[in-house]
Amino acid sequence: MPTATADPAEEAFAQLGMEVPLAQVDKELKKLWEADNAKTRASLINFAIYSEEIANLGRNNALLDGITAQHACRALMILSRPTQGQPRARAWINALCRPYQGQQTVCCEQISFLLDGGDAAQVQNIVFAHLDSDLPLVVWWQGTLTRNFEERLSSRIATLIVDSATWANPCAEIDVLTDAREHSGEKLDIRDLSWTRSHFVRLALAACFQDQVACASLPRVEEITIRHAKGHRVAALLLGAWVAQRLGGVLDESLPGFQFRRKTAGPDISVTLEEMADGHALQSLSLNGKDMTAVISRDANSPYVHVCGSCGDHRQDEIFPADVESETELISEQLSRAGGTTLYSSMLPTLRKMVGKSGCA
Amino acid sequence: MENPFQETLFQRNRAEPCTVVIFGATGDLTHRKLIPAFYNIAACGDLPPQFKVVGFARRDKPDEVFRSELEAANRKHSRQGHNDELWATFAQGIHYHRSEFQDLEGYKSLKVLLDQYDQERGTPANRLFYLASAPEFFEPIMQLLREAGLNEGAEGKWARVVCEKPFGKDLASARKLNDTVNATFDESDTYRIDHYLGKETAQNIMVLRFANALFEPNWNNRYIDHVQITCAENLGMEGGRGGYYDTAGALRDMVQNHLFQLLSLVAMEPPTDLSADSVRDEKVKVIRALRPLIGPEAVAQNVIRAQYRAGSVDGVQRVGYREEDRVNPESKTECYVALRLMIDTWRWQGVPFYIRVGKQLPKKATEISVHFKKPPQVPFATSKLLLNSENTLVIRIQPDEGIALRILCKQPGQALSMQQVKMDFHYSSSFGNASPEAYERLLLDAMAGDATLFARRDEVENAWKFIDEIQKAWHKSDAPPPMCEYPAGSWGPVEADNLLSADGREWRLL
Repeated sequence: MPTATADPAEEAFAQLGMEVPLAQVDKELKKLWEADNAKTRASLINFAIYSEEIANLGRNNALLDGITAQHACRALMILSRPTQGQPRARAWINALCRPYQGQQTVCCEQISFLLDGGDAAQVQNIVFAHLDSDLPLVVWWQGTLTRNFEERLSSRIATLIVDSATWANPCAEIDVLTDAREHSGEKLDIRDLSWTRSHFVRLALAACFQDQVACASLPRVEEITIRHAKGHRVAALLLGAWVAQRLGGVLDESLPGFQFRRKTAGPDISVTLEEMADGHALQSLSLNGKDMTAVISRDANSPYVHVCGSCGDHRQDEIFPADVESETELISEQLSRAGGTTLYSSMLPTLRKMVGKSGCA
Repeated sequence: MENPFQETLFQRNRAEPCTVVIFGATGDLTHRKLIPAFYNIAACGDLPPQFKVVGFARRDKPDEVFRSELEAANRKHSRQGHNDELWATFAQGIHYHRSEFQDLEGYKSLKVLLDQYDQERGTPANRLFYLASAPEFFEPIMQLLREAGLNEGAEGKWARVVCEKPFGKDLASARKLNDTVNATFDESDTYRIDHYLGKETAQNIMVLRFANALFEPNWNNRYIDHVQITCAENLGMEGGRGGYYDTAGALRDMVQNHLFQLLSLVAMEPPTDLSADSVRDEKVKVIRALRPLIGPEAVAQNVIRAQYRAGSVDGVQRVGYREEDRVNPESKTECYVALRLMIDTWRWQGVPFYIRVGKQLPKKATEISVHFKKPPQVPFATSKLLLNSENTLVIRIQPDEGIALRILCKQPGQALSMQQVKMDFHYSSSFGNASPEAYERLLLDAMAGDATLFARRDEVENAWKFIDEIQKAWHKSDAPPPMCEYPAGSWGPVEADNLLSADGREWRLL
């Protein structure tokens, strides 16, 4: 067994399950299943969480419990501390179980790694050595895409999940993602939780303009206003860019603010963000133009958004599910969506320009 | 103008704004299935805007009473639970319209009501008529919808009809019903619902076959020995269902529709594309290729009918079929049927399809099992029992939806002995229990104009054509095949076992 050191985080490690020698992970996992015949192992993907923040350990451990209840996977939790002394690795195994049809228990395997003082190669070796074979690798990379996120690793990732709300320097991160996607021959499927945060707002908007009278008013849209909570500026920018682009707008970088010129006839479209101190990530989306308005708003504590629209005499008032907000729900939402989506990746160039206009760190 | 926001968001056809009129709105189906399905579609954000439901029924009641009855039902039956805030908005779109089914005035006033809703909406809407009433009302409803001018949508809009089974009780009545429906609605606007097709596992049959290179090359008479389709129920005639069932029987109630749909999905050729008609073209070819069973002798050799006698299921004593509530004590209706079917196509020549369906069997289960041929020679010394075992692919439709593959493996040890093992995939352990109800999927498809999972007229009529010959042999011949018996709680009559043992096969143990 590895010798335990006086690590201040030692208490947190205790919740990761049973510590095992790194070379014995597979053997110990096998023992875990042999110990109880009533347990059934289920796995559809390899799902890895990568973090360099020791403070995230407990939260990630709880997240995996919630995520595996919805999505059968081999869960890998990697805590990397590149600046922590000499290279050293420790591993823990755990079974995340839930009852199934009264008699049986269905379980997912969790393997947690603590990687100290290592580099990108160490991370890759650990990940590659412990994948459930033939199953796709989904990685949730928390925080900044550091030097450990490099080509050899990204080329093996089927789906990369990031959360741009946590980025200190969005310009740099978007550049890294764009490069990674280019190197993968456009195969790397990138999901951003900030984009997921607007999924149901976008659905509600689409539903709102299912109506032909409402739809016919879209060429008159001049202003898009998005109210968002502090820390969710990228989510709001993505939403604004998507709406403007769907209306045929192209960002004009020469103009102040976010002005989109239409490719076809019609007024220019301006995107304005309003930042609130707290509340839901995205609180309202308004489209305004001559003789038309559409507002999608979410009240505090409501699991629904209200859609209110008017075009001349035509009015509509509807209710739609609101976007999920907890990380467990956001990740679950992503894992539920089969197949890759290129929409987010296609938005990156416009997002990069919009972020750049605000000034890169 | 196309909605620019829709294009990038949806992986499926989007339901279009519409008003749904339910005939028989005070019935069980509306309360247990339809309204909870619409509510859950709303909870998923898939309900089109300005959606309305109008309940059409005979009893007098204000909108508010109707809504509160539906609310109580939704609290009980909704898959995703009940949220007061969502219900409050959803219920605003629920209305009640009192009328007799045979009263033209009621349809005229319905038209006025629907026009009024359209006016409030500021745009003419699409209309979906759902026939959840007793089948004897289908004809007058169709006729009066036509007379009231409700069978055609306003300019650029559609009017569709969803019919619940039974689609007739024989070929003649099905044709008459279809003629009536088609005189009112175009076939492309007619959606005959078979909730088996809305089940995830039924839809997965096509994916399993046509998206996995492993199976389709072996899916023919060179490699498949036979196929079994079982639909077992551990219930009898509880809840007064004996009244209807005794007029229908297992063959009409289950085989003609649900089991023939499953059979079609298993035996069909790959469609050229996934359009509704391409898929249904291939399915109907299977039904048309069923070798007819003409005359009592052919029926007796290939079809076993039976009734249960008293016995026990799950340790509970059950009465015999003829002693059941609302069942004729001299009933000649079968509550169990087993069939050996042959499909005369290149692919399936010589491969029997065995179908069995019955009440008061040991457990509730619907599944398809594909039994592969044995290898020509097994070079291992082993028991005769194992030598006779074949690879079997099992598709479980309900409950515990999933797929299992049975193969032979070497048993650990010094000797080279074999053991059967099962590779088992359970939907719920891998994907959780989030599958939508069959009705949710089917209602969304009807609102979106996708008829792939609905039965087409020729499917229904060809199925009846085949079934009618069996009914004729049973009920109109001088020497009808016998009505067999089995004790409640058993796996059916011994004659059904003999049907397979005569071919050197046996029913799969469920």
